[in-house]
Amino acid sequence: MSALASLDDLVSLPERIQSEVQRAIQRSIKGVEYFSTSGPSLGSTPKDVVHVRGTMHLYHYRPLADEVYRVPILIVMATTNRGYILDMVPGQSFIEFLLKRGYDVYMLDWSPPKPEEKSLGMEDYVLDFIPDCIRRVQQDSGEQDVSVIGYCFGGVLSLLYGAIFPDGPMKNLICFTTPVDFRELELFSSFADRRYFDVDHLVDNIGNVPPEMILSSFEMLRPGSRVASQVQLWDNIWNDEYVKSYRMFDRWATDTLPLAGEYFRAITKDLLWDNKLYNDTMTVGGRAADLSRIKVPILHAVAEHDHIVPYEAAKHLIAKVGSNDKEEVMLKGGHVSLVAGANAIKRLWPKLDSWLCGRST
Amino acid sequence: MADDSKDPFALWRKMMGEMEKGFNTFANQAMSSPQFSKTMNQAGGATVGAQKQLGNLMEKYLLAMNMPSRAQMVDMAERLQSIEGHLNEIKTLLQQMSAVNGMTRDSAAAASKPPRTKRPPQPAGDTKQPPGEKK
Repeated sequence: MSALASLDDLVSLPERIQSEVQRAIQRSIKGVEYFSTSGPSLGSTPKDVVHVRGTMHLYHYRPLADEVYRVPILIVMATTNRGYILDMVPGQSFIEFLLKRGYDVYMLDWSPPKPEEKSLGMEDYVLDFIPDCIRRVQQDSGEQDVSVIGYCFGGVLSLLYGAIFPDGPMKNLICFTTPVDFRELELFSSFADRRYFDVDHLVDNIGNVPPEMILSSFEMLRPGSRVASQVQLWDNIWNDEYVKSYRMFDRWATDTLPLAGEYFRAITKDLLWDNKLYNDTMTVGGRAADLSRIKVPILHAVAEHDHIVPYEAAKHLIAKVGSNDKEEVMLKGGHVSLVAGANAIKRLWPKLDSWLCGRST
Repeated sequence: MADDSKDPFALWRKMMGEMEKGFNTFANQAMSSPQFSKTMNQAGGATVGAQKQLGNLMEKYLLAMNMPSRAQMVDMAERLQSIEGHLNEIKTLLQQMSAVNGMTRDSAAAASKPPRTKRPPQPAGDTKQPPGEKK
């Protein structure tokens, strides 16, 4: 048997070499194409600007169904990244999926805070921007109830909002990969070690935290992956689908936003240093943000292989909220592939739809 | 079919994957140490200090060259931002007005809203009330 297998290997080796030579030729051709063309157009689902105020942008996506659920959805994007991760290209867009399933979708997205916005603090995001957007969604949709979806730190902001305004109008809350125990973000905690990291010196001197610093801190979580991804790109450059996907995710990942100085100071001191959200001592603008005050139905989706928000940091969310109707779902994937990409289409999106549809009438 | 373990190209790819994992694990361990944090933040703090000093120097230089200072540019940016805000509000109002008058197909499409009457699909043969549904 083993002799036969060895013979098979010998026979197939020239074919493999031929295949690799063909790929090498394709790499040269496609490599030129790669550098001479731009990537796919992202975030192209038709939308209208409802309101813009400084860093805050509220969009309304045009419905794609003849009939929609009564309760609109407000997506709160993470403040470090652009919202088009949830609206990549047709067929791979979470927004498009929601619209086709009959949801009325709004998104609170962020543009880079300008130097003069360095004084924006946690209270501006939680007590001003989100309530303002909720009010505008209510006005625009004519509905009092609003479901909120928060991705990553957008989830943290949504939790804080829900804890401070427990009497509504938030009807349902969905969090994707949302950290609660910040001690478990081990590397971020190490980078921001209070013995060595002088956040006041940083913010007082440079104002807003530059996007390069945010991007570097994300990339340092997997320092070998940037080089490895370049090698993988070269290896797969003959494959149009791979290249398209690589370009989409790479563009998004490197399109990091700066963070407003005071907001960054509050994240560092209150969350990374004092772990106040986990310790139930978090306050925003002097108002207690105890997660047990959240009573609305809540779904928390976490990723099995999340290197940015590991499960240990996210797992306490469901235990801490005061809701009776609460569920955590762990799905295969990483921090980004949980919400976008081929796996999300098969896993998260249908799960979210089945959870939310009955709660949106 | 040939075993992948005998394919040199597959082996090379596997080796690359393992190297990446190994390097990430090693680097993560190194970066978790207080020494790393201390060194990184000392270097970062010095850079921030230098950046601040350079900024101050540049401001003095611009002033000497009779060019607008950063504060003046920020004031101007704030005014432009305020004008942009007003323009956006006017644009929204115009869109709403033209949609009401049926002036453009685009704005009419934006204004036409489907009814909010959608019900969740019922699984075949299941008459149970969906979760969260008001009875």
